[in-house]
Amino acid sequence: MARTAAVGRAPPVLRGRHDFPEISGRIAGVVLNGRLPRYFWAAFFLCFVLVLVLFYSITYLVAIGVGKLGIDMPVVWGTMISNFVWWIGIGHAGTLISAVLLLLRQPWRASINRFAEAMTLFAVAMAGLFPILHLGRPWFFYWLLPLPNTHMHWPQWRSPLVWDFAAIATYAIVSLLFWFMGLLPDLAMLRDRAKTRGAQLFYGILAMGWRGSARHWARYRVVYYLMAALATPLVVSVHSIVSLDFTFAITPGYHSTIFPPYFVAGALLSGFAMVLTIAIPLRWAFSVEDLITLRHMDNAAKLMIASGLIVAYGYASEAFFAWYSGEAWERTMMVQRAVGPYSTLFWIMLACNVGVLQLLWLRRVRLNMPALFAIAVIVNIGMWIERYVIVVSGPSRDFLPSAWGDQSLTWLDFGILFGSIGTFFALIFLFVRILPAITIFEVEELAEETGRVA
Amino acid sequence: MSLYGLIAAFAEPDALVHAASAMRDKGYRRMDAFSPFEIRELEAILAIRPTRLPWAVLAGGIAGLVLTYALILYSVEIDYPLNVGGRPLHSWPPFVVIAFEAGILGAALAGFVGVLWANGLPRYHHPAFNAETFSYARGGKFYLLVETADPRFRKGVTRGQLTRLGAETVEEVEA
Repeated sequence: MARTAAVGRAPPVLRGRHDFPEISGRIAGVVLNGRLPRYFWAAFFLCFVLVLVLFYSITYLVAIGVGKLGIDMPVVWGTMISNFVWWIGIGHAGTLISAVLLLLRQPWRASINRFAEAMTLFAVAMAGLFPILHLGRPWFFYWLLPLPNTHMHWPQWRSPLVWDFAAIATYAIVSLLFWFMGLLPDLAMLRDRAKTRGAQLFYGILAMGWRGSARHWARYRVVYYLMAALATPLVVSVHSIVSLDFTFAITPGYHSTIFPPYFVAGALLSGFAMVLTIAIPLRWAFSVEDLITLRHMDNAAKLMIASGLIVAYGYASEAFFAWYSGEAWERTMMVQRAVGPYSTLFWIMLACNVGVLQLLWLRRVRLNMPALFAIAVIVNIGMWIERYVIVVSGPSRDFLPSAWGDQSLTWLDFGILFGSIGTFFALIFLFVRILPAITIFEVEELAEETGRVA
Repeated sequence: MSLYGLIAAFAEPDALVHAASAMRDKGYRRMDAFSPFEIRELEAILAIRPTRLPWAVLAGGIAGLVLTYALILYSVEIDYPLNVGGRPLHSWPPFVVIAFEAGILGAALAGFVGVLWANGLPRYHHPAFNAETFSYARGGKFYLLVETADPRFRKGVTRGQLTRLGAETVEEVEA
């Protein structure tokens, strides 16, 4: 009895009654009518300016060299690495929503999985830039591949950098395949709804002649579920491998076995924060509040708090093990993190990721969109700071106090960071303009299953 | 222009399922159904065999894993053995990481290529597209196609049967 009452209180996954032409028409209309509000293009323009900033900064970085970043001996890892970890983490929530929730048969994933997957792709694209830019001589990045060459050298298979390359490349390709496979039926729908020749050709070629045959659907479902089952261990492995970049060094503050699970939880926290950062304006701008409902927002906020608690546990256990190890360097590093040169950032990080996050326990906050949006943005910032603190505080307080030092941040660090954020959102805007941001066929199926067809 | 079959449009998924099973009871076998989303009941009615694609995915995964591991092993043992302080050349734990990623990649590629291959896609032309009433999405309709190749196919009779089963329209499809 109590259980039904609790279920009854949760907002429904879909609101109101729908019919199939209405659902597909509304979602496809955003793409095909091409009449987007002026503020959409204004926001896109702002992001585009940041794209130019990114191009300029990258050109500058490649031309002058990594010395123009704030990195300095002994802290030679800086924003390039923290940006990388941050972006790759953001991508993980997309895979979790599209793959793990599919396997767990959570119906609420249907209306948000498409843009969450797009978010994954663009975040991975951004993430992939940074290790390459960090190389110093980015034009040699292909040396990480086992290609036949005149040097007759092989990649160093025992290096986490090479594992990273394998993990990120695999993740990007598998995410792209999974995303495109999910798009096929919707592309066919757009092809049939398109009025202009250009749109018919564009969507028609991409749809590959999908016609919704029952035989095709049967194979499609089996393979789609298998791809989801493959993406699930993959997503866990990717961020674990990213964390091994740190743990393989004996640097105090890097060398810890808690890192893989702690990084994966952090990835989910920042990823869900980014899902909310995109979903809240999206559902408002395109009036799809009955398809992306409060239930989605509520669930994403709950997942944020769940992963946020694991992250808080990670912080605590990091500090505990530094103390429990009995090693002077580990203990010093931990104390220096709290009171040293980066202590302001450390406390801001705790306030964002542990403090503010607790507001999500309140149902009133979870269902209040402006508040939820603000918390999501704060957590995004907090997670970036977390990565930065991890990256810089270890090397800055190494074994020998005579070798201690810090790094600064220059305009180039910020140019590349904000440039990448702008590029990410510009890609999201283009995606919303060109492809259906909500999975039409799954929402129709959901409407049919939940009896919400008029 | 020869006749490929008759395509009947239904307004509801249930109507399509009902019609498909009724036609099967009448002995029709060469049928296909089209819907904007998957209808699970059709699998049994149209006697769609379980796909063997999972084996392709498994094979792709094993191939990716084994080939990558073999490449690494070849490089460290045969092509460029490098003795660093007497450490073993075959230090498998790091190699497993790369081989695992390659295995996932191989499996996903096999699944993606396999499902397109098995479905005969990309295929930009199919007789079903010739039907004027056939629009995969616009009206949210559900279609049943009976091919002329079916031994029981008689144009007039089949058309009558489909109409009686509640089809909104029945159209002749040119091949």
